[in-house]
Amino acid sequence: MSGSKEKALNLLRYLPRISLTNIRDNPGAKMARKRGRAQHGGDKHGDGNKGSGQRQNFMRLGYETGNNPFYLRFPKEPYYKGHHLKRQYPPLSLLELQKLVDLNRIDPTKPVDLVAIINSGMYKMSVDQHHFGVNLTDEGFEIFEAKINLEVQWASEPVIAAIEKAGGVVTTAYYDPHSLQAIVNTKKFFERGIPIPRRMMPPADAIEFYSSAANRGYLADPEEISKERFALAQKYGYLLKRIEDDPDYEMLIQRKDPRQIFFGLNPGWIVNLKDKVILKPTDEELLEYYAS
Amino acid sequence: MFLKVESHKIRNFNNLFKQLRISCAREHSTNSDIPTVTTEFAPRKLLFESKYLKPRQVWLESLDTIDERKLGILELHPTVFGANPRIDIIHQNVRWQTLYRYVSFAHTKLRFEVRGGGKKPWPQKGLGRARHGSIRSPLFKGGGVVHGPRSPTPHFFMLPFYTRLHGLTSTLSVKFAQDDLHIVDSLELPSDEPQYITELVKSRLWGPSVLFVDCSDIMPRNITAATDSIKHFNLMPYYGLNVYSMLKHDTLVLTRAALDIIEEKILNNFHRHDPSFLKKFKVNQV
Repeated sequence: MSGSKEKALNLLRYLPRISLTNIRDNPGAKMARKRGRAQHGGDKHGDGNKGSGQRQNFMRLGYETGNNPFYLRFPKEPYYKGHHLKRQYPPLSLLELQKLVDLNRIDPTKPVDLVAIINSGMYKMSVDQHHFGVNLTDEGFEIFEAKINLEVQWASEPVIAAIEKAGGVVTTAYYDPHSLQAIVNTKKFFERGIPIPRRMMPPADAIEFYSSAANRGYLADPEEISKERFALAQKYGYLLKRIEDDPDYEMLIQRKDPRQIFFGLNPGWIVNLKDKVILKPTDEELLEYYAS
Repeated sequence: MFLKVESHKIRNFNNLFKQLRISCAREHSTNSDIPTVTTEFAPRKLLFESKYLKPRQVWLESLDTIDERKLGILELHPTVFGANPRIDIIHQNVRWQTLYRYVSFAHTKLRFEVRGGGKKPWPQKGLGRARHGSIRSPLFKGGGVVHGPRSPTPHFFMLPFYTRLHGLTSTLSVKFAQDDLHIVDSLELPSDEPQYITELVKSRLWGPSVLFVDCSDIMPRNITAATDSIKHFNLMPYYGLNVYSMLKHDTLVLTRAALDIIEEKILNNFHRHDPSFLKKFKVNQV
């Protein structure tokens, strides 16, 4: 690329001046449009020309002219039963996370949560497809070296080990769909002018995961987590760095309240982007409702 | 202060640089006051420096004498001034700039719009002639036209953002490669006579047509007065810079301040990664 570019620029020195009169598009880049002589451009409405395409009756896929069709003949195996209700966690690998940090798309000097990951522009999720956040996968765990305070929605044991080996901390936290809706497009949410909702507790089938210290759940006992961190370091054979001695201690111990969605913003607050003010509720009833 | 800019077809840069209004500090000298020769000048600090591409070099010139006077060498970013000279992209930009503002008023009438033709011209049967119901049928001379041009037909469309951006870098690179790009310290002239600027352009083998681009839309008085009567010398603020005007003029003269701002804006747009700004352009949307 570079060679041809230099050649082209060099050649231009000996060619006539490029002006409005001697430029053209690449040959064949534009196709001339023909005007068909009928209502729909003189076409055959997608049926092809004559013959079977126009005249034959193609039956729907699987239909056997009245026989009990093959696909209905045997009892079905419900592989996908309830798939529309299951929570989906679109994956993000440690390799990609490292890349986001290296390319300054994520600021590792601040706690990294789902908002930060989505705002990097390299991770997409949509709430209406039952996406519930990041599943951090272990691809690239051997080169992961970012020291971050990370909050994801799902993480496996080797992933937790890789992050803690690098000196960071990880939490798994649950967000309900309403909270996620606020997170996926923060600007749009604030423009709606509604109070920040309070985060709901996990559903019954997820409460165990998010209360477990082994999964670094946000509802787990911090002392248990401390023990599990040590146990994991023993299991994977790395030296656990003491967070207390870390210069970024303050950043590393920051956690959200289980009812909180955004760092620094409490549920019930309204962010007014136009006047750049934050409105906080004062009513007793509201305060009680939004209290953790 | 007077303003003489090529105001048409400046959409290109306007779109790019919508948010940006940076005032540049300039010392306004009087007629008699000839700018002093500055022997020292700060070298340029290139943004987003490339590990692999070498910066281009250009002379920094001055307009305060008729003969060429070089003040020093400046570095130019290779992404902007050493880009692949894509003639096709330049052509697409020129085509877009011509078409988006063009509305065709060619118009033909349909059979019902042509006057008359209500009466059956002759009986259906018995004359030995072809059957007809109206003398304004498309088969008739002077009848309506089928599928003819209808007025107004707008030809508005938006070229993709990066095609516009590459159009700018391609054209700047072409101008630079063909020695048609000159960087000057400022647009201050010692005289407001048209003769002065004409002789300056002639002695330096510029032009004949020259486009002067500055970082502000309020140009110095002398160059405004001097070029006012010369139609092929035009002044333009940096945000008006566009492919069409660059090609329309033989020589492009940028002030150093304009160069800084143009390079910075183009590079920032090449390196931005907020995905929302690339949404599809929609007509009739506020």
